[in-house]
Amino acid sequence: MNPLVVNNVVKHYADKTAVSGVQFEVSKGEIYGLLGANGAGKTTTMRMILGLIYPDQGDIRYNGKPYSNELLKNFGYLPEERGLYPKIRVSEQLIYLAQLKGMSAKDADRSLKNWLERFEVPENYNKRVEELSKGNQQKIQFISAVIHNPQFIIMDEAFSGLDPVNVELLKATVKELRDNGASIVFSTHRMEHVEELCRNITILHRSKEVIKGSVKDIKSKFPKEKVWLQTKQEVTGLDQITGVKAVHRHENGLEVEIADEKVASQILNHALSQTEIEHFQVKEPTLNEIFIRTVGDRNE
Amino acid sequence: MSNFWTVVRFTVMNKLKAKAFLISTLVFLLIISVVVNIPYIVMQFQGGGGDKVQTIGYIQDGDTLAATTGQQLEQYFANIEGSNLVFKGFATSGNAASDEETLKSELNAGELYSYLQFGEVTESGFPEISVKSEKLLDYSVASQIEGALQVIRHNNILSEAGLTDQQMKELQAPIVVDAVQIKGSLSAGNEGEGKSAEEQGINMGIIYFIIIFLFMAVMISGQMIASEVTAEKSSRVMEVLITSVSPLTSMFGKITGMFLIVIIQLASYLAVGAINLSLPHNADMLKEFNIDLSVVDPMLLVFSGLYFLAGFFLFATLYAALGSIVSRTEDLGNAVMPMTFISLAGFYIAIFSISTPDSLLVKICSHIPLFSPFVMVLRLGLTDIALWEVLISFAILIVTIYLAVVVSAKIYRTGVLMYGKRPSFKELRKAMKAYKI
Repeated sequence: MNPLVVNNVVKHYADKTAVSGVQFEVSKGEIYGLLGANGAGKTTTMRMILGLIYPDQGDIRYNGKPYSNELLKNFGYLPEERGLYPKIRVSEQLIYLAQLKGMSAKDADRSLKNWLERFEVPENYNKRVEELSKGNQQKIQFISAVIHNPQFIIMDEAFSGLDPVNVELLKATVKELRDNGASIVFSTHRMEHVEELCRNITILHRSKEVIKGSVKDIKSKFPKEKVWLQTKQEVTGLDQITGVKAVHRHENGLEVEIADEKVASQILNHALSQTEIEHFQVKEPTLNEIFIRTVGDRNE
Repeated sequence: MSNFWTVVRFTVMNKLKAKAFLISTLVFLLIISVVVNIPYIVMQFQGGGGDKVQTIGYIQDGDTLAATTGQQLEQYFANIEGSNLVFKGFATSGNAASDEETLKSELNAGELYSYLQFGEVTESGFPEISVKSEKLLDYSVASQIEGALQVIRHNNILSEAGLTDQQMKELQAPIVVDAVQIKGSLSAGNEGEGKSAEEQGINMGIIYFIIIFLFMAVMISGQMIASEVTAEKSSRVMEVLITSVSPLTSMFGKITGMFLIVIIQLASYLAVGAINLSLPHNADMLKEFNIDLSVVDPMLLVFSGLYFLAGFFLFATLYAALGSIVSRTEDLGNAVMPMTFISLAGFYIAIFSISTPDSLLVKICSHIPLFSPFVMVLRLGLTDIALWEVLISFAILIVTIYLAVVVSAKIYRTGVLMYGKRPSFKELRKAMKAYKI
């Protein structure tokens, strides 16, 4: 049985439904992606997993057991918005939070120093949170979620406010946590992160699941509708071929939108008859495109 | 349980380290030190009470009534030990205007503090007297003279009536009436005698002290608790906290931490006040109060302590719940207003009823949970209250605390995750149903 099982949960607020029938499982050492537009129900789902709010229907099981206060020590939570004491020193509040999670002050201190070292910000140990830059605050927030080595980690927009270098740093850390056996639920708006990190995802739209499954399966279910073409000389007349919907000229090649995968070979032949080919690829749809298509279309 | 003490320690340490808290405490300590020493300081400025002699001039005009009045005053004050008034007669030149000139010039030269002028003889048997001085509104000299003249006249009339010294002594002997309160039934206080006037006086002082102490503790810590909760909520650290520690533990940890802080704070005020009072130059003043704490009924202290703890806990719990409802510190003032009014009401009912501890108002209020911690100490200290009445009132208080804890914990649990506008009562109740605590 998987460590984290979310079983058909439903949550209503006053007169609106926040989450309706969400169901997924996260295995040991897996990062599960929870995607959706703003207000789709991601945060509500995460809060239910954390036991902050209780589902109106359905249930959530942790290692096969229902929620209880004993589980608190096993949770690590990185909220979407900053959740730190602005006026208290980093060391004091992180050691406090770690102590609440059952660590001794000494262990917490050692662990905090390691993490700060690792994130290349050991000088922040004695600073107040309000003195730190947004990126550095996010690092501290991240440490607060993982300092006690939790089994379940819930990350809501983990990489917001970070520069590309730091995103890589934290991404590597998340992967390491995964490899150490944590079950991670992860939400973000950056699809390239999802493609890199998540095995399985759920896309929520207006409180309902619209797409669910492994990233590979989801991608293969969507037709390949783009061809990338790089040639020595310019190719003309591509838009005459039936099945070509549009031709986009980029700086170093052509992107051709096609109605059907079969049209790709016609394009290749057409181009070969005119010039030499440097690069030809029938492109998989990106998650970004899938997301926009599923969520964007339904918005209309 | 370990989490509870972690929260308590964190709350206390942060408060003790906060600059604003330290500064305001220090300022208050300074104010206390100054206030306690004010009588002494004022005395220093006045020239040490009896030390500096004030000379008052008057014109000695032969055998006129005015002149004899002046002489009588001179004699009277000369006979009083420690009086700082000395009268000095000046020979008349026969001309009233030039006489006054003489006195004025003496005054200007600093020889005189003030001088007297006598006018027409009035019904009182003395001439009209005015005290002329450069000092503004110096009533003390005038009132001392008034007092002296009354005694002088009293003695004059009595001796004219031909009373013997013995009879005069008998007339002047003080009359004493002792007020002793007795006990009718089995009561919560000490057995037997009831409360003597001395005991009642001391009790009254202690009651004032307890009521003010409780009021300050509730006001200070209530505000602090509520604003800490709101601050945690608005900085969203609450979301992280309740995934680490149960809301109940966090709420009571905070309340306990604040309780310790307030006790530390008030104890330091008391200590500084006491140290100042026991300084050598204040020792005489303390002796005048004649405080004998041994006459205090221990039961009064025990019950007062219980009511203090219960009252503090009840208010603190409700303040924490109110703090959890609002999400921005700006809205906090409005939210805690009702609690502030209730504690003010309880405080004033108690303070204004201190001379009428038997009134119906006090009897009723001593059973109303939010008022009883203030009002019940009155009845305990000043009246002969039956033990069962105290127990009933305390039982009501305890039941209310239990209910308040349940409701507050629910509000807290619900409130800390509701952001945006302040939830309506209906929304709150609906959301509360969703939580087990």
